[in-house]
This record gives sequence, structure tokens and C-alpha cells, in this order.
Amino acid sequence: MSHAQSHLSRRALMKGMLATAGGGMVMNWGGLTGSAALAAEVRKQKKHCIYLFMNGGASQLETFDMKPGRPTGGPFRPIDTNVTGVKVCELMPYMAKQMDKVAVIRSMRTSEVDHPGGIHLMHTGYRASANVRFPEIGAIVAKYQGTVGADLPDFVKVSTVGSSGSGFLGPKYLPFGIGSDGNLPTFAVSNMDATKEAKRHDLRAFVDNQFATETKSEVAKMHIEGYEAARRLQKGRTAFKIDAEWDKYKELYGDSEFGRRCLLARKLVESGVAFIEVGQSSYDTHSDNATGHRGLLPPMEQAWAGLLTDLKDRGLLEKTLVVWAGEIGRTPYINNRAGRDHYVRCWSTALAGCGIKGGQAYGMSDENGIDVKENPVPEGDFFATIYKALSIDPTTENYAGLRPVPLAPFGSKVVKALLG
Amino acid sequence: MSRLRAGWLARTWAVLLGFAFLPCAASRGADAQIRETVDVEIKAAWAREKITPAKPASDAEFLRRVSLDLVGVVPNNEDAVVFLDSKDVDKREKLIDRLLADPRFARHQGDIWDMLLFGRNPPGFNTDRREGFQTWLQSRFEKNVPYNEWVRELLKAEGTSADNGAMYFVQYRNAPEDAIEAITQTFLGVQLQCARCHDHPFEAWKQREFYGMAAFLARLDVVTVAQKGNTAVYAIGERNSGDVRFTGSAKEAKPGDKGEAVKPKFLLGKELAEPALPKDFKEERFAANKIPTKPKFSRKDALADWITKPDNPYFARAVVNRVWAQYMGRGLVHPVDNLSDSNAASHPALLDTLTKEFVARKFDLKWLIRELVSSKTYQLSSAGSGEPTPAWFQHARSRPLSAEELVESWQVATGYLAAETAKKPDADRFRPLGSGYLLQFFGSPTTGTGDFQGGLREHLYLNNGPLGQMIGVKGGLAEFVGDAKKPVADRVERLFLATLNRRPTSEEAKKFTAYLNDNGPVADAVWVLLTCAEFRFNH
Repeated sequence: MSHAQSHLSRRALMKGMLATAGGGMVMNWGGLTGSAALAAEVRKQKKHCIYLFMNGGASQLETFDMKPGRPTGGPFRPIDTNVTGVKVCELMPYMAKQMDKVAVIRSMRTSEVDHPGGIHLMHTGYRASANVRFPEIGAIVAKYQGTVGADLPDFVKVSTVGSSGSGFLGPKYLPFGIGSDGNLPTFAVSNMDATKEAKRHDLRAFVDNQFATETKSEVAKMHIEGYEAARRLQKGRTAFKIDAEWDKYKELYGDSEFGRRCLLARKLVESGVAFIEVGQSSYDTHSDNATGHRGLLPPMEQAWAGLLTDLKDRGLLEKTLVVWAGEIGRTPYINNRAGRDHYVRCWSTALAGCGIKGGQAYGMSDENGIDVKENPVPEGDFFATIYKALSIDPTTENYAGLRPVPLAPFGSKVVKALLG
Repeated sequence: MSRLRAGWLARTWAVLLGFAFLPCAASRGADAQIRETVDVEIKAAWAREKITPAKPASDAEFLRRVSLDLVGVVPNNEDAVVFLDSKDVDKREKLIDRLLADPRFARHQGDIWDMLLFGRNPPGFNTDRREGFQTWLQSRFEKNVPYNEWVRELLKAEGTSADNGAMYFVQYRNAPEDAIEAITQTFLGVQLQCARCHDHPFEAWKQREFYGMAAFLARLDVVTVAQKGNTAVYAIGERNSGDVRFTGSAKEAKPGDKGEAVKPKFLLGKELAEPALPKDFKEERFAANKIPTKPKFSRKDALADWITKPDNPYFARAVVNRVWAQYMGRGLVHPVDNLSDSNAASHPALLDTLTKEFVARKFDLKWLIRELVSSKTYQLSSAGSGEPTPAWFQHARSRPLSAEELVESWQVATGYLAAETAKKPDADRFRPLGSGYLLQFFGSPTTGTGDFQGGLREHLYLNNGPLGQMIGVKGGLAEFVGDAKKPVADRVERLFLATLNRRPTSEEAKKFTAYLNDNGPVADAVWVLLTCAEFRFNH
């Protein structure tokens, strides 16, 4: 069967499935091998992902890949953790007690060394291209792990970066962005008087239903569904308020902005949101790297440790993947401004929860952290492993026009050692 | 070359060559017949497929559809009343003539092609600011420049980005492979990109074929020639030397493998014959702020000439199919940019005839568009299977309004345009809402395969956004509808005519009369009609 024919017939097949599902409302035509039925099957497992994004690029040598006593080592000492043989930076005492849950990857080797390219890469798994708009991981997880008819959006970004959005997956999977002040995105909130709005709604429903019935138009039905989703959000949006609970949790998460964002992420997981990205900025320490990390790491790592503890206590960690990464790593060499520059030949990321085999450091750098000595992990393998942990087949293809695009780049391998 | 492909090519060439011998008079005599050919062929397929077509579109349905399709905006209340009440039997034809002569026709076509050539979010290099390009493109349609001529001009990219199509290549700076993928897909309806990394799995394209085509663009350079305000003005330079390199299958390529230089070769055709450079030739770098010197021999121009030749078997066919899809919902070959043997046309004879006539008409897009919208096929009702783009064209398609169409239609419907344009004729076309959110939420509402897909953000904008700024305009629709001194029947009728360009049904009249008599807020009634599905889509 030719490519285009199979494309069409698979589309037709999916339409059939949707009709039997009774709705006929959800026209999810983007996925092929990831058909509607498969997506529904995946969704039943209800996995979640929280992406802690270190904007600017945190230093591996000041976090998870210390080189004490080496010329590249920097001023901090490694400390023991609750996993024998795995040491972390002394700036991370809270995380030191959580390392049994965490798999560190010390052998990241990626292909974009600057911020815009790196941000695209570490949000999509792909290098940017002029001809294809790649979707962010959040849009992909929303598509395959989102909840049809939920009150809340499936893809939430809290104070973070990345502008690829839903790419060719379309506006249905656009991120719902929460500002650094915790405010909902523009237009998310209705300021109308409830009685007046109900009256307006009645009139609107009358007009739309009449048109949809008369024309049988599928797009009209989608329009009605989108409108209903916007109304449901008004009910669900209290999930974004954490003020009432903050006092109780601020000790666990640490009294910081990043702590508040992590608590919000946990709350959203509980409310069913599939993907939440939480950002922390200012890691681009080209000068005074040590000072920068001394300021940035403590609130971040306490919040992260608090998040892992909280998820675990609530029984959510088994189905929630927590990813820690930035767009790049930092140079092993310390420059003449006591800073570290951009580096992607050998750097570190970390994963926890959702079937990740914690308590290990995967891959190895050489004695000065210049190069990967063992088990390099390129971006494609990193994303393939994340999708696999989330029960999403990384070879699933979506279509950008006629071009099949797998979720993780063609040829990417799942790092099996990271999965339990 | 596969036997199938050879067959198709031979057929296409025969059709084109055969036609060249026909006297011109014959084609001119066929004037009124192409629209009839369309209807005959479409009807024959219905009979064959046992399909019952929809009934013809009502005047109101036709008026709204053709206005949006030809000038990108809904008619105003007065024009709607005149058209609906006219007893003239030729009123549809006259409307089509009027709309095709409207300056907004060129602007609308400019919008469509600009979107096709750049997309909503072009990849950097200041290509998001391309007023010079957009003005140039629009003027091609104002002057009705033949399609092959303006595409040739575009691909030759002479002059600068301030005043012609040079900006097109800026988005593909240092990326000849990306450029050739886009050019072949857009203008030839051919999907070469698979062959970039491996031989195409089921088309005739070998990987080497891809690099042979990319070689035509390997020597391009983007040169900054001036600064206009804070925007750089670019020109496209072409060096005398430089090659794309081919390393074989991406799977087998080894790191550091430089590969071999590939000579330019026309797709499924000959290698380009190009003069050799003198032995002692030394390439000079292009200087900034200086229009780059032309090369001794231009590969880019050779490609532009080859693509736009009347006997190129893909070029005319691709655009005819694309324009068909613009008005009928999907191409006779679907998707429009995959003309291939493995993806046959639904109505092959019709596509052949349209292509042949289009070439004979010297690539006149306006002629083609007039024929299509004059056909009975285009003028069917959209009520039918519910599918947005029916495969056998048995009812009209439904498509979302573009961000520009939506905002400008809101301006007309609310009376904002009439009230505000007199004050500021040159104001931003997205006024008073601004382009930012509108482009973000309504800019490209489709899935990866081109089907409509609404989103939560679109509806949050509609529900909680700034539409009230337009609705509340002084002297606008809401004021009329809210004027309790006027008979309520008139007010309800105006509400529907101004927004949906039709009169209300009796149930609608009843519902809205009760709403207004019950002191329901007028702005909300207007809002309902501006945000409902019937307004959101062209159908």
C-alpha cells in the first residue's frame, strides 16, 4: 500500500472508531500509528509528567557530576547520599536524601550548544527546522495522556521557556501558561456576572445547536466542544490556587517561588493534568558560576525533594515522572571570570518516578568531565526513555503534512537500564 | 523510473503537447465551458459512486461564501439586503465580477500565498517582518500577472527584500536542502524530502535526485545591503562556485565523511549544462551594503526557468489542483502537495482539462478562480455529510476563517469598520484587537495534516477576550439593535443580516425577540452571533 493511501485509510479507520465511540466530536486526525484507540488506551493508565526546567543550563559539576581535586572541579565538595556510591554537591542536602528515587544521567551528549537551539531541542527532542514545526513534549504527553472532557487543560507551563508549543499537533494541545506571579494566562478567567453569563450561554447554545443539527457539520460540533471546555475551566480553575495550602507545605517545599510552583505542579497532577513544566531561570553563569549556583540550587533542590516526598506520600510517584534538565550543560573549564560557558559534549540530567529505576548514576564522564567515558545519551534517547516511562511508544508517528514524524527522532533508543 | 510514473508523465506530456497544436480560437470559444466541464465531470462521478449531492446553496449561503472566498470578508448589511432582494437572474455572476474586481481580492490572494510561502511562524532571520514581500506579492494579483511569471520572478529573487520577493530565500539561509524541499512541494506538488536521507520508499526519487535538485541552490547567500529603520534589507547573492555534498544514506554515513560534490540535475531530467569556470578563477566574498554581483552563470535562474516552463509536467497541474482545493475544500489530488502515481486524482480527466486550459490561458489565476466559483459544484449547499471536505464534492466544504478574515468580518459586522475607518483609514487591520493574540489563537488552526482543530485558547479568547471593544462601537450594530424605539422585528432582522448575512428563521426570530423584550443585554446577543460556529466557518 502506498504511503498516501495508507494515510487515508488509516484516517478513515480512525473516523470509524470515533463514530463507534459515540461522540463523533473528537476529530483527532493528527496521529496515525498513535490512533485514537491507542491514545485512549494509553490514557487509561493516567500517567503524568512534571518537567523541572533549569533555564540557562545548570552546571553538572555543581550538581550531579562533581570532580573534586581536578582542575575542572570548582569550589564545592561532594556529599554522601542515601545511595551508596552516588555523591552529589554539598549544595543539595535535601536531594541527597532522595537519591534512592532518582536516576542521574551523567553522560548527556546533545547537539545544540546555544540557548534558543538548546531550548528547542530539550523541549522537542529535535533540532529546529525551517520546514517542520515540532511539538513540545508537553503537547505530546497531553495528546497521549490527556483527559478528554477534563475541566483543566492537559499541558500547563509554569514560569518557563520554550516557544514551540503544540507545533504541528495543532492548537488543541497549546500550552496553558502560568506566569512567574502564578497568574493564569490572559483571557482564562471570565469576569461576567454568573446569571448574565448563563443567559448568554443559553442563547449561544440555541444558535450553535441549531446550526450543527441542520448542517451536521463536524467542525461546528468541535466548535461547540471547545466552547464547553472554556466553560468547564471556570469550574476547575481553583486547582491553580495554592494560597490556602501554602502554610502547611512551605516547610516541605521550602519557602520560595520555585517551591510554590512545585506544590502547584503536584496539585495539578492530583487534578488530572497530564503534563506540567516548572521553570527556574538564571543558570547561565558565564561569570561567577559558583556564586550563581550557591544562590539558585538550594531553593530549587529543596522544592524538588519536597515534590518527590509529597508525590511519594500520596502514592502519585509511581505514575508521575519527574524530569530534571536544562537546555545545555556547562563547560568543565572555568573561564577567567570564574564562570562556566555552554557545554553539550558531556553533561547531566535526572529522572525519577513512574517506573524509573532510582538510586543509580547512569553513564560516566572522564576524570575531568570533558567527555563521556561510558554510555552516551543523546537527546533522542533521552526523550525516547521519557516517553517509554510514560507508556507512550516513542516510535509513534504523527504527520506534518505527508511527512511521518516519530515522537522521538528516528533511530532513538530507549535506555533500558533507566527503567525498572 | 517506475513504469507507472513513466506512463503518467507520457500522458501528461502528450496532453500538453497535443494542446499546443490546437488553434487559440478553440480555447477562447471554450470560455463558458470550463465551469460546465467541471459540473459534468463531478456529476458523472456522483453517478458512478452512487452519491446524492446536496441541494444548491441559497442566495444567502452563496453570498457569504463567495464574499469570504474572494475578498476575505463578509458583506455588510446593505450589500446583503440588496443581493438577497434582487430579482436579477444574473445576480450571482455579477456579484462574482464585482468581487473579482475589488481591490480586496488581491489582498486576500496575497494573504493566502504569503501564508503558503512563509507559514505563520517563519524561522527567524527577520522573516516575520516582510512588508516589502507582502506588498510585492499583493501587487502581482492587482496586476493579474500570470502565475508562471511571478513565480519565476520569485525564484530568481533579483532586487532586494524591500521591494520584491527576495525575502522568500532569506528564510532558507544556508539551507539549500530545506529550500528545495519547500520549492518542489509548493510549486511542483512533489514530496522530495524523504529522499534527503534515503531513496524514497515508493516514489521514483533516489537520494541522489534530491541532492541534484538542492545543488541548484547551493551557492546562494543572504547579503545585507541596507538598513531601513531597524529592519535589514537583504539581497540574494549567488556565488560562482560551491556544491552540495552527498554522503550516501544517512544510516551509513560516518562522522567526518565529507561526501562527493553533486552536479545540478533536473528532477527526472538531465544534468544541467553549465560553463566551466576559468582555471585561475578566484571567488570574491559579497561585501555588506552592496548589491551582490551576478554570477557568470546562475544555477538558481536555470532552476527558476525550468520550474516555470509551460511544459513542465508538474507546475501548472500543481497550482490548478491547489486553487481547486482553495475553493472546493480538497484537491482533485489530495493532499494538494502530493502529485504522484501512488496518489491518483479523484477526477483525472477533469484535472487534465483544467491544467490544459490554464496553460492555454497563459496561467491566468483570476480566470481559473472565476470558472471555479461560477460552477454549480461550488454553488452547492454545505449541509450534507457533515464532513468538512467531502471527497466527491457532493456538498460545499466548511473551512475556518483565517485570523485576518475573522477580525475583518467582525469589523464589518459590528459596524466598527464603518464607524472607525473614516477616522483612521490606514490603521492596523487587526484594530482594535491587535494581531498578537489573534494570530496566536486563530493563526493556524489545523492539525499536522491540515484538518481544522479548534483549541481551548481560541474559546477563552472568544469568551473572555476583548471583543466587547468592537461590539460597543458608537453608531454600530449594537446601538441599532438596542434602540427600543425601533420595532423589535427590524432589530432582530438587522442583527442576523449584519452578522450571518441572512434573515433569521422563525424560531430564531422568536428566541431573539423574547431575549430583547426581556431586556437581555444587546452586546451579548451580538457576541453570540459573532462567536457562533456559523460565523467562525465559511460554509
